[in-house]
Amino acid sequence: MSTITKKEEYIIDKNELKNVLTQFVDKKRFEDDEYINRIKNRLEEILRENLNQSHNLIEVLHEVQGLVGFIPKYVQKEVAKALNLAPGEVTSVISFYAHFSENPKGKYQIAICKGTACYVKGSVDIIDRVKKEYDLQAGESTDDGLFSLEIVRCLGACGLGPVMTVNGKAHGLLNTEKAVNILKKYENKEM
Amino acid sequence: MQATKINKISSYEGFKEYKKYLDKEKSKDQATKILVGMGTCGIAAGAEEVYKAVLDEVEKRNLKNIEITKTGCIGLCAKEPVIEIRQGDTRVLYGDISSERARELINQSVIEGNIIKEWQIPDDDPFFKSQNRIVLENCGKIDPESIEEAVINNAYDGLVKAIAKMTPQEVIDEIKSSKLRGRGGAGFPTGVKWQFAKDNESDQKYIICNADEGDPGAFMDRSVLEGDPHRLLEGMAIAGYAVGADKGYIYCRAEYPLAIKRLKKAINDAKELGLLGQNILSTDFNFDIELRLGAGAFVCGEETALIASIEGKRGEPKAKPPFPAASGLNNKPTIINNVETLSNVPDIISKGESWFRSFGTEESPGTKVFALAGKIKNNGLVEIPMGTKLGEIIFDIGGGLENNGTFKAAQTGGPSGGCIPIEYLNVPIDYESLKELGTIMGSGGLIVMDEQTCMIDLAKYFIDFCKDESCGKCTPCRIGTTRMLEILERISNGEGTLQDLDLLEEMGEVIQDSAFCGLGQTAPNPVLSTLRYFREEYESHILDNYCEASRCASMFNSPCQNACPADVDVPLYIDYIRQGKYKEAYKVIQKENPLALICGRVCYNLCEGACNRNSIDEALAIRELKRFASDYVLKNEGGFPVPHIEKELDKKVAVVGSGPSGLTTAFYLRKKGYDVTIFEALPVVGGMLAVGIPEYRLPKELLNEEITVLTTMGVELVVDTKIGEDITLKELKEQGFEAVYMAVGAHEDRELNIEGKDLDGVYSGVEVLRDINLGKDLDMKDKKVTIIGGGNVAIDVARNMVRLGAKEVNVVYRRTIDDMPAHREEIEEAQYEQVKMNCLVNPIKIIGENGQVKEIECVNIQGAEFDKSGRRKPKEINGSNFKMEADVVISAIGQNVDCNFNCKDIEVNINDDNLIDIDNNLQTNLSWIFAGGDCVTGPSTVVEAINHGKKAAREIDQYLGGDGKIITELNIERELSGPILEEEKPRVKMPTILLSERKRGFKEVEKGYSEDMAVEESRRCLRCDVEIK
Repeated sequence: MSTITKKEEYIIDKNELKNVLTQFVDKKRFEDDEYINRIKNRLEEILRENLNQSHNLIEVLHEVQGLVGFIPKYVQKEVAKALNLAPGEVTSVISFYAHFSENPKGKYQIAICKGTACYVKGSVDIIDRVKKEYDLQAGESTDDGLFSLEIVRCLGACGLGPVMTVNGKAHGLLNTEKAVNILKKYENKEM
Repeated sequence: MQATKINKISSYEGFKEYKKYLDKEKSKDQATKILVGMGTCGIAAGAEEVYKAVLDEVEKRNLKNIEITKTGCIGLCAKEPVIEIRQGDTRVLYGDISSERARELINQSVIEGNIIKEWQIPDDDPFFKSQNRIVLENCGKIDPESIEEAVINNAYDGLVKAIAKMTPQEVIDEIKSSKLRGRGGAGFPTGVKWQFAKDNESDQKYIICNADEGDPGAFMDRSVLEGDPHRLLEGMAIAGYAVGADKGYIYCRAEYPLAIKRLKKAINDAKELGLLGQNILSTDFNFDIELRLGAGAFVCGEETALIASIEGKRGEPKAKPPFPAASGLNNKPTIINNVETLSNVPDIISKGESWFRSFGTEESPGTKVFALAGKIKNNGLVEIPMGTKLGEIIFDIGGGLENNGTFKAAQTGGPSGGCIPIEYLNVPIDYESLKELGTIMGSGGLIVMDEQTCMIDLAKYFIDFCKDESCGKCTPCRIGTTRMLEILERISNGEGTLQDLDLLEEMGEVIQDSAFCGLGQTAPNPVLSTLRYFREEYESHILDNYCEASRCASMFNSPCQNACPADVDVPLYIDYIRQGKYKEAYKVIQKENPLALICGRVCYNLCEGACNRNSIDEALAIRELKRFASDYVLKNEGGFPVPHIEKELDKKVAVVGSGPSGLTTAFYLRKKGYDVTIFEALPVVGGMLAVGIPEYRLPKELLNEEITVLTTMGVELVVDTKIGEDITLKELKEQGFEAVYMAVGAHEDRELNIEGKDLDGVYSGVEVLRDINLGKDLDMKDKKVTIIGGGNVAIDVARNMVRLGAKEVNVVYRRTIDDMPAHREEIEEAQYEQVKMNCLVNPIKIIGENGQVKEIECVNIQGAEFDKSGRRKPKEINGSNFKMEADVVISAIGQNVDCNFNCKDIEVNINDDNLIDIDNNLQTNLSWIFAGGDCVTGPSTVVEAINHGKKAAREIDQYLGGDGKIITELNIERELSGPILEEEKPRVKMPTILLSERKRGFKEVEKGYSEDMAVEESRRCLRCDVEIK
């Protein structure tokens, strides 16, 4: 595998990218050529800034996942190419860290804390309830792509346990009822 | 505050000038400041809406000269959202501030200048008073995004002093002398570690700050990162200066987005000011800091895994040695320190090591930040000197357990640590003492647990966590944690064996010895620790299939039934009430508890504490519903159902004592077909139910109705007959009784041993209750009555005195009101009835005049160290004596058993506590004599006595050749009869009579539910017993 030495040499194939992104249920977004271009350009920017810097892999993956929403195989190959790694090495790192996902996440990403303090205050009941309500397992998204669920081990807001975040926004002092009501508000776009 | 941008600081003097300039700007600043706590916790509690409300209200009111700042977390999470208002030199802190309250505060406090006391958190609040805030000094007090505010509050003083006035070796020496130890958990001496890195020659060295904070339950570092990031940057730069590193990395977990944002800004601001970057203060010291993100792997808190992660690789630990100080990141000498460790460094350098050593203990100087979480009232962060006692942290600073819970254990050290049970509340918290107890300091997470926590469940939780987070590289950790989890799961599913416990211990020790890194080596700790201190709990899961905390769902139908000592099928009878089938409901109760009406009035209701509905709104009114069903059936269904006698066995059993225990045994044995005779020493039947519990709680008429069921079944009642006096045990045997159940209770008052106890007007509690209940005349009108004691007898006596017309009723108790053994509900009712509780007071002398009680001399008490029950030992405060006027003194300080029932040839063994000695089968040393209830346990509760009664019936039946089965199963399908109500709905309150009516006589205080109320309340039941497919 030859190393890319000049930043300008690094280009992403737009059609391949579009194919991959339409794995999202929200297909309308990707009919929009401008949107695809924006993602392509920003992705190229990120990878060019880190050309051949394999030690920046985790930072790059954070940015890529923040941009695309997940890290599909095609994108993993591009990252490997830009950072001068074997694709397998990239996949290996993604599979190690809970934060990175090969599968698309939902529009609203739910993270429910199962840390000790929240656990002792009954977060398991909330987790079970949310799973039941939306027919979700941890690490999966709902069929309509609205919600995805992650169980995390401590958001660091133990004083306000049990805690749940939705797209990073923290909601505390929950019980099963409050948790579901909050999610319904997101569903109805009241939040 | 806004200060004009200046050029880079280029010298020591330049820094001093800058500080003077900022101070001058600050003193010009006359603005009123409103600080809104906006750490992640604050935001989770709604602080963003509060902030918006503040902005909005200030604009609406057109207020000028107001500065509104977002600040970090002050640590009192339980009171979030929090606002501080500063006007001139006054600072007032308010807690529990919603958007509406925030607006009110603006109007009252800012405009009018009034302090709203109800919402104020005073300066001497015990939560803050006991803290020594070094690391957390600025958190919650400054705008974390302003480097100017940081510098005014002494940020970078230490760095500037180090660079300008000290050599690198002098810096290391200062840290060494301070004896600062790593605060990440291991407690390694920081100065020693820095010396290693300094001594290793290299062209490149690194400082890494471990801000991964992966321990679930720990959020100390987050508070510093979000609230005072410059403190950390300064600490790192000083470390860099000391060891010769010019590059620093902060490895921060991805789950802390706010911390990441604030760190980035702080680094930029420090660079712009010239306090980070090239040629700091015009010297040749360069120091740059970069942020690296974690990605959700707990193992990356281990230093070699963390380094691998910074290098962009899988976070798999490496073998040590070489240690990072010799060869770390990129194989260069690397110092890895925890956030809290580095945050201690600036003050040590600027204030000196002897200042630091003035806190804490000899071996562990300084402070430690703890994250108090779990079932504790004051959830939050506290920074306290090392060596503070665990009990002080939990009860004084933490405010004790929430929801009247009983302390069971505290967990330290997260998944690498262990638990500390109630016997060790006096242990000072430092590295060595915790190690001795089988746990570790860890990063500072302290989880407080109550009786609703199952220790097997907890052990399972932690090992499950370690199994998930295991990197997978070494077999002992990867496979070992999996196998240990499997064993724990079997135990919690009721499939465990005693050998499993030995296996867990063996595996635990092997994994500790052979795992590759700290994660694996400490993974077995929580399991081994819970086994060490709570082995009986493991055993009762295995041998009795019983989970006391009602967590291991396979072991019970519903938590309420599981918590009931008599095993009453609560959801089933509540559902019958919902359906209007009250007689069926009564039968369900009667199956396990023949004294349904009685318990419906006086039970301690342990069931309610376990009720799952507590987490939604309030527990079900289980006792009140039991009462309703009984009352209804008695009134409208022609009396209580009388069970069928199975088959006459023509065998005689004697029951001594007609209290709840004796009545229960008699009920079940008669049902089985035995000829049962109850011998009762007093002229009335019922034991403490008749002569202890007052009329206004349990009317005698109703008590006798329930006892009539027994006589209808054919139980013989012989009153005025005392065993040992009117008839002997030997005579019982001669009369053909093949077995005897001793249920004589504890009816003798413990003697009050103080001067003046023989004066006229001094009585004993149980005697007084008995006299009142038997109709004797007691003249208490207009008298001042003092009652000594804090149990149920004391409170019953007190409430009786109110009804007898006493002018003043004082209860004197040597511990706190929370320590009183009496039923919580009873204490509250007594207070409503104007009984005064004088707690932390001990009587020392009763003073009389003409042989009659005149006053009682008391002394004030302070709580000293904790005893084994988790309560503070009473210690008299010298010279705090005072006198209390009293006409009558009644002592109710405990009850003893009257053991004078033995005779020649027949001696039942009494133990050292003066209770009847029994084995696990309630059998005494004489095989035909059994015993149970208060005479065996000491004063306890009605429902526990009933439980003994059932057990005795089983044992006696087996002893006499039966199969020991006394319960007739009802074989009812568990189905929902209606939808489950999950929205918040308050509990139906029990109506009671008013104080004026109570004082006039002995009318029953609780009026009882109407039919509508009962059905409405029963609909709140979540039917935890029904499995939803």
